[in-house]
Amino acid sequence: MSVVASYINNIVSGVKSTLVGMRITGKYFLKKPITVQYPDERLPIPNRYRGIHYLEQEKCINCLACARACPVDCIEMDAVRHGKELEWVKFTIDYQKCMFCELCVYPCPKDCIHMGNEFAFVTTDRSELHHDLLSYKGMSREARIRKREAEEKKKKKAAAKAAKAAKEAQAAETEGDPPQPTEGEA
Amino acid sequence: MNNGNIFLDLLVRFAPEGTPSWLLDLSAAGVGVGILVAMVSVIAMFCVWMERKVAGHIQCRYGPMYVGGWHGWAQSIADGVKLLLKEDMIPIGADRPLFVLAPALVLGSIFAALAALPLAPGVFFADIDLGLFFILAMSSMTTIGVVMAGWASASKWTVYGAMREAAQVVAYEIPLGISLMVPLIVAGTFNLNEASALQSGWYGMHWYIFQNPFVLPAFALFFISALAETKRAPFDLPEAESELVAGFMTEYSGIRWSFFFMEEYAAMFLMSVVAAVFFLGGFESPFTSLARDVFGEQHFLASLTAGLVLLVKAFGGIFLMMWLRWTLPRVRIDQVMTMGYKYLTPLALLCVLGASIFEALWLGVA
Repeated sequence: MSVVASYINNIVSGVKSTLVGMRITGKYFLKKPITVQYPDERLPIPNRYRGIHYLEQEKCINCLACARACPVDCIEMDAVRHGKELEWVKFTIDYQKCMFCELCVYPCPKDCIHMGNEFAFVTTDRSELHHDLLSYKGMSREARIRKREAEEKKKKKAAAKAAKAAKEAQAAETEGDPPQPTEGEA
Repeated sequence: MNNGNIFLDLLVRFAPEGTPSWLLDLSAAGVGVGILVAMVSVIAMFCVWMERKVAGHIQCRYGPMYVGGWHGWAQSIADGVKLLLKEDMIPIGADRPLFVLAPALVLGSIFAALAALPLAPGVFFADIDLGLFFILAMSSMTTIGVVMAGWASASKWTVYGAMREAAQVVAYEIPLGISLMVPLIVAGTFNLNEASALQSGWYGMHWYIFQNPFVLPAFALFFISALAETKRAPFDLPEAESELVAGFMTEYSGIRWSFFFMEEYAAMFLMSVVAAVFFLGGFESPFTSLARDVFGEQHFLASLTAGLVLLVKAFGGIFLMMWLRWTLPRVRIDQVMTMGYKYLTPLALLCVLGASIFEALWLGVA
């Protein structure tokens, strides 16, 4: 008798478990999908996400603090100093080496290098993984203007100094009496 | 008058006088086959797209979304083009003639079976009195093709797949046939058109599953057997991608592989239509009945409604098959055998017995 009972029990439990399973999958079928159509829409990226770096070049003073902090030496930077202004030669990060540790961000005295939220940078060639963070090479227009202004100021100052010196010399001449300092020059 | 083929009827009406009758027969057959092939391809492609969508949504994803714009509707077309352009490879050790013949046999037999399906009341490729018998015979032929493919590929996986297919299909032919005997006892005809027309009472709800209490369990048994017949999960042991790579079609590529693929979906459609006709009222539904009353018995729109009703029922069955596929895990081969021989077959026999007694005593049709 127990054979018959277990036979019927098998049928009942088989049908029941199938129906339970179908109820679950049916419920999910009617639910809205939870996936995101990736290239068209993206999930929000957390604020502290460590993606590709970006540089606020205007603020940077080429102090090399970030390059020195980098444990894998993937930052290379170079700039020529003209007085206070910088003429940029390069600022590259080699993403073949970079491990996105964010250690370059903390030592920056001007707070000008940041980790961004871009993570998709697939390339077809390794050389394309050397990212140049500079938005411009050489000097910025503002820097050039500031430099020219500074030079003009300097020139003016020099001219004023020269004029003053000449004036003083003339004044000394008209007074006649004092000893001639210009003798040796002449 | 009906010669058994609407295309032949049309050709006879429009052909010039004195055309030899063999020419008419041949061209009617050609037109019929062309339409059938186109129909099957469209249905198979739609089913593939539907399968991917259903699978996606059951797993909380979207499925194809890009090709063609609206929800990836052209995905199957793109896949078809890809398959056509793929290299057609035949392994060195393979038995070439059998290897080439196998997919053709599989697809050809399923086409033959589909030819017996009615499209609408009075619209059919072939009106066969033993229609259901013909369909079962033809759909069983696919097994020979599958075994052939498995053996000819000269690979271990394919032979395993073919062995499993042979064992499984032989086991499930029995409950499939026996469970179909139940509605046959009620209907008293093998002809699909007549069987469908017999369910038109009760405003189109006089379906066989409501006519006799034993038809409903027989429907469940038929559906399970049909799943096994069409090699669908949870009975997809001949394919069993996680154990046998792709089973009997491991060595096939390109268009030959797509023949097997198309056969699977065509067989699903076939089994769903048979289920719809012999259990779920065929063309009959309240809509069909209403359309008949409004437009008249022979009107074009009434036929169209009937055809659409059958199509909806068929795709309902296909959807159920997909739902089961993405719900249940694959069963082991011994479990498949146990289920076929120890559960489905005796239960189907019980259903036949019960239905016969019910028909004989309660309804007095002895």
